[in-house]
Amino acid sequence: MCGLCGLLGITHWTETSAHSAAFTGDSRKTLRAERLHRTNLVNAILHPKRVRISDFQATSYLLSSPTGKTIVVDDIQAVWGAYETLTGHNLDPLDPEYLKILDQASK
Amino acid sequence: MIPVNIITGFLGSGKTTLLKEILQKSEFNDTAVIVNEFGEVGLDHIILEEVEEGVLLLESGCICCTIRSDIQETIRSLQVKAAAGTIPSFKRLIIETTGLADPAPIVSTIAAEPIIRNHFRIGNIICTLDGIAGTTTLNTHEEGTKQLAVADRILITKTDLVTLEKIESLEKQAQGINPLAQIGHSNGTNFDVSLLFEEDINDPSKRVQEIERWFDSDRLADLKDHHHAHAQQHGLGLKSFVIAFDEPIDWTVFGIWLTSLLHAYGEKILRVKGLLNVEESSTPVVLHGVQHIVHAPMHLERWPSEDRRSQIIFITKGISEDAIRTSLTTFLSLAKRMSGPEIPAVKD
Repeated sequence: MCGLCGLLGITHWTETSAHSAAFTGDSRKTLRAERLHRTNLVNAILHPKRVRISDFQATSYLLSSPTGKTIVVDDIQAVWGAYETLTGHNLDPLDPEYLKILDQASK
Repeated sequence: MIPVNIITGFLGSGKTTLLKEILQKSEFNDTAVIVNEFGEVGLDHIILEEVEEGVLLLESGCICCTIRSDIQETIRSLQVKAAAGTIPSFKRLIIETTGLADPAPIVSTIAAEPIIRNHFRIGNIICTLDGIAGTTTLNTHEEGTKQLAVADRILITKTDLVTLEKIESLEKQAQGINPLAQIGHSNGTNFDVSLLFEEDINDPSKRVQEIERWFDSDRLADLKDHHHAHAQQHGLGLKSFVIAFDEPIDWTVFGIWLTSLLHAYGEKILRVKGLLNVEESSTPVVLHGVQHIVHAPMHLERWPSEDRRSQIIFITKGISEDAIRTSLTTFLSLAKRMSGPEIPAVKD
């Protein structure tokens, strides 16, 4: 994130903590709990592809390939472009074979 | 936040005629309009003065300028000049696209450019549809169909020159491509200012009304009654369908899924509009997007009806309802299993 963007407080639409007016329930998670939940979910989704994600200081995410190559991204949107850079392939969330593996892997 | 309306529509469909009306109406006296060319609109008789190079103040109080090197620079220049007081300040911005342009990149600029997005927000996208040649345009020109598919309001023009049957048939065709948009008629001199420009999803006082338009219109009744998605195939592969979920959904996994989908297929997901029952909120959350861009989620104070299901409407190009449904269901099931106490997360 550039200094100017940081100054203007750009937040991604997926972050509930950034849109407290829209998310009003008691089960709304704290910033850290939401990020932990997101990290766990993305790891489950990327597990068949052997790529991992970890939270970095509640500000960024680190995306790592099996060989240790790592890319820092600001938000969940940037994960998918970084995944392509790491693996040389795009992640197709509509691919029936991938969805089948995903379905089996978490059982 | 200053609302930005985009006027799009195929060549000769009546964009300029609509603009001429806008520029002379007193309701738009606090509006800035970015047009393709001054010459096309024919402003000579209503110009009050040229307040800045390329920026005209019209008799109605409306500010008018042409696109400079790009839309981003033009918007920022207008904003800087208004802040400095060299041109009158404005409370609404209207942008006219060219007849062959895809309006989505303009939406992207306004939603994503760091400075513009902090001062402006996207309002209704209005598409003019030629009452005479509209059917031919939609059958043969992908640009025209895409413009219609991303619109929030469709204005069928030249209605005084065609029969009622032809208008009804065109209306049906337009609804088949974009069941979400409200359709208005114009005979060149009259149009509903409020419906076209003022009533949008960002206005909290109109939000429930707008959501009711999305989900409770007669055009979607069939989808709601049958509790399953209904796809409509068109010549250019456009489909519109609704996906509904009975149980509250996990917002985090929904965000992961939609960002990954839009990254892979953003060009083919022309519009997404949803009213979601999410675990993280006790009230409905409203979501809407155009291609790669998803706007900030909004709060709805109450459900528009007794129906508490999450409902998401898609307008896609070449992507089937089954593919979207299977993918989202898999992602949601994964989140549900991971949140359960007995079932462990994915093993390494």
